[in-house]
Amino acid sequence: MSDFFELIVGATASGCIYALVALSYLLITRPTGVINFAVGEWAMVAAFGGFLTLSRFELPYPVGMALVLALMIGVGWLTERIAVRPLVEKGAPPLAPILALLGMLVVFREVVSVGMGPDPQPVPPLFGYGRLELGLLAGSYQSFFIIAVTATVFAAAWYFFERTLAGRSFEAVAIDRRAAALMGINLRRVTALAFAGSAGVAAMAGLLVSPNVSAHYLMGLPLAIQGFTALVIGGVGRVEGALLGGLILAIAEQFTVRYAPIPPGLAQGVPLVLLIAFLLVRPTGLLRARESRA
Amino acid sequence: MKQIFLALARSVVATAVVMAAPVAMAQNTIKIGMITDRVGPAKSFAEPVAAGAVYAVKELNAKGGVLGRQIELLVEDDQGRPDVSATAARKLVDAGVAFILSVSLTPATQQAQSVSLETKTPHMTPSNSGDTLTTQINNPNFWQTGPLGSTQISTLLSYARNKNFTKVAVVTDNSDLGQLTARFFKEGLARANIQVVSEEVVPRGSTTADPQLQKVRAANPDAIFLAGVLTPENALILRSYRQLGLKQPLLGNYNFSIPVYGTVAKGLLDGLAFVDAFDPARPQTRQFIENYKRDNNGTEPYNLNGYGYDGVMMVVDAIKRAGSTDKEKVREAMQATKGFQGVMGGVGSSYGFADGKRIGFDPNGMVVRVYEGDAQGKVVHVGVK
Repeated sequence: MSDFFELIVGATASGCIYALVALSYLLITRPTGVINFAVGEWAMVAAFGGFLTLSRFELPYPVGMALVLALMIGVGWLTERIAVRPLVEKGAPPLAPILALLGMLVVFREVVSVGMGPDPQPVPPLFGYGRLELGLLAGSYQSFFIIAVTATVFAAAWYFFERTLAGRSFEAVAIDRRAAALMGINLRRVTALAFAGSAGVAAMAGLLVSPNVSAHYLMGLPLAIQGFTALVIGGVGRVEGALLGGLILAIAEQFTVRYAPIPPGLAQGVPLVLLIAFLLVRPTGLLRARESRA
Repeated sequence: MKQIFLALARSVVATAVVMAAPVAMAQNTIKIGMITDRVGPAKSFAEPVAAGAVYAVKELNAKGGVLGRQIELLVEDDQGRPDVSATAARKLVDAGVAFILSVSLTPATQQAQSVSLETKTPHMTPSNSGDTLTTQINNPNFWQTGPLGSTQISTLLSYARNKNFTKVAVVTDNSDLGQLTARFFKEGLARANIQVVSEEVVPRGSTTADPQLQKVRAANPDAIFLAGVLTPENALILRSYRQLGLKQPLLGNYNFSIPVYGTVAKGLLDGLAFVDAFDPARPQTRQFIENYKRDNNGTEPYNLNGYGYDGVMMVVDAIKRAGSTDKEKVREAMQATKGFQGVMGGVGSSYGFADGKRIGFDPNGMVVRVYEGDAQGKVVHVGVK
C-alpha cells in the first residue's frame, strides 16, 4: 500500500511537468491557433541555463532561476519576432508559422548541442535530494517542490485569464480575433506576450525537471510529446485542462508500469493510446473552451 | 615580345605548379574514412571515439605516417541513421579510402556494411558492442574490435560468481543498444541458471524511474543488473534506487564507465560495480593518457577516446603489413592480426582474430571496477575466468 501512495507523489510531480509544458503550448495555441513544438526545446535551453547559473557559477537558487526565466521570456519574445511575425504580416498560411517554429526547434537543439557538448550536465535541486514523508505520502523534496511551484504557476495563470484585463484580452482574441481587433485589442501585443509567457512557463518546466533528468540536448522532444499529449487530453480551451491532462497522463503512465500485468516494453505505449483515444472520442479534450459554453 | 610571352608563360606554369602542389600532396595521402554521429542519439559516445581516432592520426603523421605517406582522415556524419550511414560509406568509397571506421550506432554500422560488402572495402568498428554485427551479414571485409555485450555480462557474472545470485532484476532503457544489451544480459544469466525475476524498461525522456524500481523492490532480487546505455535515464534509475531505499548490489554495463556519471549522478554511485575495457594501470594505457594530455592542453582521455585510438592504430598496422592500400591485401593483413597491443583491455590482453573470426576484442580483456564515492575505483576483476 505504501507503494501506491509513494507513486501518487512521484506521478503527480511528473504530471506537473507535463502540465507546465501543456500550459506552454496552450498559451500560444489559444490566442493564435499556432502549435509550437519548440516548447520542449525552450525547456531544454532553460535546463542548460540552470546548469550554467546554478552549477557552474553557483548563483543563489532564486537569483539563478529568475535570471533563466527572464532570459527565456526574452527568447520567447524574440522567437515570435523572428519566426512568426514576419510570416503573419506577409499573409502566410496558418501552417507556415508552425513549420517555422519546427525549424526553430532544430536551431535551439543544435545551438545547445554544439555550444554545450553532447554530455548531460547536472542541475542541483533547491532542497537537495532528501526524502519527505507526510503520513502515507512519501517522495523526494524535489517532487514536493515541483508540485508546489506548479500549483502556484497554474493559480497565477488562472488569475491572469479570469481576473485581469490583459488576460481577458487573450480570451477575447481566442474567441474571435477579428472582433477583438475591432474592439481595439492590440493583436501583435497579445501574440508577443503569448510567446513570452509560454517560454517562461516552458522554462519553469525545464528548471524543475532538470535536477532529476539532468540537462541534455535531447531532452526537449520527449517533453514536447508528453506536454502535447497532456494538452490533447485536457483540452486546449482552458488553463485547468492542461493541469488535468498532465496529471491524468502521468498517473496512467506510471500506474500501468507499476501494476498492469503487461510486458515492460508495452507500458511505453500508454501515452500514445491515450492520445489516439482522445483524438478519436473527444478531440476537444476533457474541458471545453469558454465559447462553447455560451 | 617573345621574351614577354616566355616570361608570362613561365609565370603561368609556375602558378599552376604551386596550385597543383596541394592536390598532388592530397593525392599522395593514405585516406581513412570515419563515419560518426555528430547530431543524433549516439553523439555523446561517437564523438569521444572520433576524437581518439583524430588524435591517433595526428600522432602517426607526426611520426611520418605510414608507408612513407601521410594519413588523411575523412569524416562523415550519419546522424545515427542506418540509411544515411550507408550513403556516407558510399561517399567514402568514392573518395578512395583504404579503410572505413564506423563509430556510430550499431544499426547504422550494420547498414553501412552493405556498401563495404559490395565494394570489398575494408571496414571495422572499434567501439560498437552489439554481438550481431559479424553474425547477421557474412562480410569478410568487416571486423569488430569493441567489447561485445555478451563479454560484458560474462565478465560481470565471473566477478559475481562467489556471490551466488539465484534471482536478479535487469533494468534497461528503450534505446536500440539498451534493448540489445539487455538481451545479451538475459541470455548470459540464463546460461548461468540465474532467474530474472524482474525486467524493467525506463524509456528515453522519462521524468522518474520510481514505478520501475518499485517493481524491482517488490520482486526482491539478489542483485540488479543495469543494461541501459542512456546516461540521463541511468541517473534516474540510480536516483530512484537510493530514494526507494533499495540495498541490492548494482552491476552496470560499460556505459557506467563514462566519467560524466561522476557529475550527473553525483552522490549516487558508491558501490556500483561496472565493466570497463580501460585499465589505467596498463603500461600502454598509461602512456596513451600521458601523450594525449600533453597534446590536448591537459585534458585527460578516457575509455571512449581509447576505442577510436586503437581502431586507427590497428588499421594502420594492417596497411603497414600489407605494404600497400590494395583492398584485398589490406583485408588479408587485417584478418591476420594477432597479439596487437592497444590501449584498451586489461593488463596482458591483446586484439586478434582467431580461427577466421572477425571479432577482435580479447574475451578476457574486460575488467570490473567499483565506484568509491563518485570516483571510479581500481580494477577489482579481470576477464571471464
